[in-house]
Amino acid sequence: MTTSTVGPAAASAPAARQASGIRQAWGRLRHQPVTLAAIITVAIIVLIAAFAPLIAPYAPGETDFTAVLAGPSAEHPLGTDDFGHDILSQLIYAARTALVVGVGSVFVAMLIGVPMGLILGYKGGWYDRIGSRVMDIADAMPGIMIGFVVIAILGRGTLILIFAIGLIFSMNFARMVRAITLTERKKLYVESAHVSGLRNRQIVFGQVLPNLVGPLAVQGAVFLGNAIKVEAALSFLGLGLPDDQPSWGGMLRVAAEHQVDHPWMALPPGIAIVVTVLALNLLGDGINDALSGARTTRKQRKKARALAPSLADVEKARQSAEARETATDAAQAATASVIPATASALITTPLHPETVLAVRDMRIVADRPDGEVVPLVTDLSLTVGRGEIMGLLGESGSGKSMLAKSILGLLPAGVRVESGSVELAGEELVGRTERQLRSIRGKKLGVVFQNPQANLSPVHTVGRQLVDPLRVHHGMSKKAARDQAADLLDMVGVKDAANRLDQYPHQFSGGMAQRVAIAIALAGDPDVLILDEATSALDVTTQSQVLDLVLDLRDKLGMAVINITHDLGVAAEACDRVAIMYHGELLEVNDVFSLFHEPHHPYTKALLASHPTADHKVDRLPTIADFVTADGEWIAR
Amino acid sequence: MDREVIIPMTAHRPLLDVRDLEVAYEAKGGMFRKRMTTVVKGVSFHIAPGETYGLVGESGSGKSTTGRAILRLADIAGGTVTFDGTDVGAMGSRTPLSYRRDVQAVYQDPGASLNPRHRVGRAVTDALKRHGIGDRASRRAKALEVFEQVGLTAAHLDRFPSEMSGGQLQRVAIARALVLEPRLVICDEAVSALDLSTQSQIINLLMDLQKESGVSYLFITHDLGVVRHISHRVGVLKLGELVEENTTDALFEAPQHEYTRSLLAASPSSSPEGRDERRAARQQRRVAVPSALRQAS
Repeated sequence: MTTSTVGPAAASAPAARQASGIRQAWGRLRHQPVTLAAIITVAIIVLIAAFAPLIAPYAPGETDFTAVLAGPSAEHPLGTDDFGHDILSQLIYAARTALVVGVGSVFVAMLIGVPMGLILGYKGGWYDRIGSRVMDIADAMPGIMIGFVVIAILGRGTLILIFAIGLIFSMNFARMVRAITLTERKKLYVESAHVSGLRNRQIVFGQVLPNLVGPLAVQGAVFLGNAIKVEAALSFLGLGLPDDQPSWGGMLRVAAEHQVDHPWMALPPGIAIVVTVLALNLLGDGINDALSGARTTRKQRKKARALAPSLADVEKARQSAEARETATDAAQAATASVIPATASALITTPLHPETVLAVRDMRIVADRPDGEVVPLVTDLSLTVGRGEIMGLLGESGSGKSMLAKSILGLLPAGVRVESGSVELAGEELVGRTERQLRSIRGKKLGVVFQNPQANLSPVHTVGRQLVDPLRVHHGMSKKAARDQAADLLDMVGVKDAANRLDQYPHQFSGGMAQRVAIAIALAGDPDVLILDEATSALDVTTQSQVLDLVLDLRDKLGMAVINITHDLGVAAEACDRVAIMYHGELLEVNDVFSLFHEPHHPYTKALLASHPTADHKVDRLPTIADFVTADGEWIAR
Repeated sequence: MDREVIIPMTAHRPLLDVRDLEVAYEAKGGMFRKRMTTVVKGVSFHIAPGETYGLVGESGSGKSTTGRAILRLADIAGGTVTFDGTDVGAMGSRTPLSYRRDVQAVYQDPGASLNPRHRVGRAVTDALKRHGIGDRASRRAKALEVFEQVGLTAAHLDRFPSEMSGGQLQRVAIARALVLEPRLVICDEAVSALDLSTQSQIINLLMDLQKESGVSYLFITHDLGVVRHISHRVGVLKLGELVEENTTDALFEAPQHEYTRSLLAASPSSSPEGRDERRAARQQRRVAVPSALRQAS
């Protein structure tokens, strides 16, 4: 028993421990400058409201009849109103009112809306039908009218105002909670809770409600702003708070009475309302963005461009790699038995001698927000011959999809090529601008992803999706492109192709949609077709049909195919050579027949042994652990 | 060689007996009239104590719906489901707690079957609490015990689903199903989403647990390789009908129905040897029976 150098250190450990969703969201929140400004603004307003008696120069009701309707002065920085109230002090105390009424009414709205939405969404049936109509009727009435009615019946006062505004917004909460509950209810964790025997009440409040926290926080922040606006509007109309209670709306009403002679009076409350509502809305948007995941910012894109290797760097790296290739060719003749993965990766086979795609010393890294640079693919080299089907096999997280995306120039945000070269039919792809890559992608590369429907645009006919690339990349006339599109569909085995051009993707079954996706990928007559788990979501009979189609097309058109898969069976049936990837490294590149009969790497042996198949059976499946020593070294046997 | 089932002499009747099961879904469209689509059409099979019954078929074959009907998550439109002598269809609107304890489920997507906002240990303790088992401390002890049984540690109890790998999550889902000591577990594509090396570990785990506890499995999957390995007997569903049923080896070595044969022919082999011949044979089969395949695609 010997041990090889590449240790599967991480095989038994889980993927790097991730922060939980909320913590990640908070991390993103802190990197949004606008949101940060909104948080600071809201915090300042809250502090002002909380410590109003300490900050305000005068008490809320204090009048100074020596200075009525005075302009700004040393005693009264923002002047006074018609009763001689200090406007600055009024403004500060009014912030308190606005927040109390705002927070209170959002609380009331949630108290009514959240349980209502949960019950309607979860129970469904008649509850939902009647409840939804009630929501529709409530929504049809202007919110402010509901406020009028409540105040007309119950009179004026802080608590009544809170209730009135809360009622206005409760239906929005109910609607949102109902919609989310409807989707959550169908999720497996709810079903699992049922199977465990949990009561409906426990499922609704214990299981579903925690998943509403994010959306409720967003809506809460936005409605808080709206509630403050409604409070201001009602107070402006003299329907909100009692006149002796300072409020921004009340201050605006006084200002409106004197707008001809003292126009400046409207400015302080007006600005206060705009700033507060704006900050709350931006905060809501910020929370929403943070919860919905990372997005590429311009800064990130700029950074990625700056860090990307230049064409000159790439050229130099390629020359050194080529020099090594000649060296390994010579060395290979000398050493007999085991060919290292890097060497066999760089040669083509006699069956497909012409190199069409050469990946050299590829290093792909992810930039974490905390500045850590995590390697995803390390020093990987791979050569694919014209007309060859290269299987790229690995488990999730092995870097196989990242490698494909780097070839396509479609790496996600925060992931970049650190060094290396991709040469496609004599043209270097690394270091190209997005625009240059776009034209290369369309003409020389085709790609089909896993989900057949996601490959296609749902709002365009398949004909349009086939015709567009033909016209763009080959400058065909409309008529010629349409004829060519029909030929392509016919070639991938879609019957009645000319008529089906006018259909939409949802009118195709999964297998047929995947055929259409292949037709679109082939429209540019590519040198390399990349299949990224393209048959993994299909049923076995459909999968075998699509794989057979790929083989037929390769025989007919002679393009190279990179078939990314986690399925050994797919590799066995439809690949010429197979590259085995594990934790970002290429462990072995081998002819498919040799791979299955004389695998070089212990990991490949482990994969082959642990694969349950329909054509034979073993008593107990070996697992990866059986091929690893206690020290985390591969066992070669 | 078939996996042997040790059936105690006292077990004269099967644990689960499904007879002429029909399940229908309300189809969208009709505004005033309910249009029903039957997705399971007269399916009959039984599962003995300690046995694994594999139910295979392609998407739309009704295999998952059959499992959901047994779990009382889909309404039984016709036929009977009998569990240990009790008619499951006649249980009324409230499922007896004993049935919720005896019959458990493990689903395909372990991430989705656990609440993203709860620590995973809670999935196990919540189930114990609902069934009135133990106090807070003993429930946690029990959770740890079952976590260790499925190859997890105490440290995993307080993790969130987002902090665990797919294989670990599936172990949690199995722990939740097993902690109530069920007699039947419905495994709906329970290993299909897992990586190959993880898949073999989970299959071994399920088989070991069966040996220890004598639990029965209804193993629903589209993966013929997995079914061959884990099942004692297999039923093949096509468009809601059970077209063939046999012991595992008999079914794989001598399939009787044309549909079973086409499924086996389409299933990828474990070796590239003879693949050109297989490809040619598939081509011929497609010409010979185009209708069956077109329906399937």
